Amino acid sequence: MPKPSAPGAVRPDLEQVFRASYPRVVAVAAKVLGCQNEAEDVAQEVFLAFGRSSVPAGAAAGWLSVAAAHTALNHIRAGRRRADREEAAGVDGLVAPDVADTVVASEDRRRVRVALARLPRRQAVALVLRHSGLSYAEVAAALDLSPGSVGTTIRRAETALREELES
Amino acid sequence: MPHPTDGTLRRLLDEPVGVADVDRTHVAGCPGCLSRLAATQQDAAVAGAALQIETAADVDAGWQRLSHAVTAERTRQAVSAAGSGTRRPARWRMAWRSPIVAAAGVVALLAGAGTAAATNWLQIFHTERIAPVTAPQADLISMPDLSDFGELVVTEPVDVRPVADAAAAAQATGLAVPQVSELPRGVTGEPWYHVSGRASAVFTFSAEQTARTAAAAGETVPPPPPGLDGSQFRLVAGPGFAAFWSQNRPVPALVVARAGAPTAHSSGVPFDMARDYLLSLPILPENVATQLRGFSADGTTLPLFMSTEKLTSSTADVDGVPATVFASRDGTTAGVVWVDDGTVNAVAGSLSSDEVLSVARNLRW
Repeated sequence: MPKPSAPGAVRPDLEQVFRASYPRVVAVAAKVLGCQNEAEDVAQEVFLAFGRSSVPAGAAAGWLSVAAAHTALNHIRAGRRRADREEAAGVDGLVAPDVADTVVASEDRRRVRVALARLPRRQAVALVLRHSGLSYAEVAAALDLSPGSVGTTIRRAETALREELES
Repeated sequence: MPHPTDGTLRRLLDEPVGVADVDRTHVAGCPGCLSRLAATQQDAAVAGAALQIETAADVDAGWQRLSHAVTAERTRQAVSAAGSGTRRPARWRMAWRSPIVAAAGVVALLAGAGTAAATNWLQIFHTERIAPVTAPQADLISMPDLSDFGELVVTEPVDVRPVADAAAAAQATGLAVPQVSELPRGVTGEPWYHVSGRASAVFTFSAEQTARTAAAAGETVPPPPPGLDGSQFRLVAGPGFAAFWSQNRPVPALVVARAGAPTAHSSGVPFDMARDYLLSLPILPENVATQLRGFSADGTTLPLFMSTEKLTSSTADVDGVPATVFASRDGTTAGVVWVDDGTVNAVAGSLSSDEVLSVARNLRW
């Protein structure tokens, strides 16, 4: 990760980059976490790190997307205990008629999170970036892969994800 | 002609123009490759569905939050650098505290003076400690409230509003706003602050209303002691603030809150007279009344009502001050509450008891 030029310095283009990329960063993290609120927390962390970095502005979008996926995957392990508690508390407090759907949906999200956390990290990141709309060329550049191997990585990730979800 | 790789077939689904013509032609005429392509498509669809989530990010709110986080980070770095340079953290602690302490003192002085000037209120209750009162949920739901015993007029309503940051919360409330030294695992980012000004109400005891409430419950009540009927009590709490981490969730990940501890003032009736009479009424669940009678008679223990089905409570200490720890039986939430120098402090969240105690004991002032 590129380092900032001075301790405590925040890059001057932070707001401009933030406004252009925030929705994308939240969307990438949300695909991993299945939860917009948690994805927004991750996005804050990612942009704080970006603010301290000297990543060239032209490379910001790819860097932020990869950082969002990595940070969100890191959160799965750290936040699992807490998320389980929250889901339990949330379901307990719900009185809406669609409570059964909510339970099913949250169980599905939990399984996807667990499955993603078990994939090899590069496969998981490539999968999430591709399903967030990045092109093969963008995924290749972001992950330092050859364009030809992006398809292979994503294909393996999708097979592994399906197997994890079926298990 | 070799069959295209799995990766090439995968790309054919997303970016057919990125696949060589020769491969595309091959696949179109190769039953084996068409079958592989169908399986690839199926797995891609499963992944797409699993990762499907609609998001609507609020860019302005996000930017505001990040701005605060950047500012907070700079402040921490500045304090840390200065502190390590002088090697006298105690001095920094004093520097942080003193303006806030001074502000709190002024607020207390003005509030106290104003109250004294307006009436001859006699303070009959001030919170020095908090103690749990546990009862089955059904008993707690059936508990009467003050309006069953007279008239409650809100003179200063609870007015909760968001503020930008810790400094604004301190300024709005006159309370010291502590920093959390180390966030529990899984809790991240900067908190959102809400404040409320002082809240107060005046309660006028009515023997007639009390008798009506009792009659509705099929009970009769003894006549109140002389002087109680029509007497007034002024109840005051706050101001206060709460810092929320990860708002908009069913349960915040972490909440750190402080507020001016509740006090009660009387227009003349002693605290124990009012208390003993209310506790003698057959309206309160007996187990609740028994616990309340056990509290000290000098009016310094604030009851914290807890449902025995949902919560467990225990005692601990926070920096030498007795504290009440509560935890939900399903393990989803925990909190710790303590009173220090006229201020109620609370740390709670979707955490374990150990985690909330750790946060409480490591608050930086």
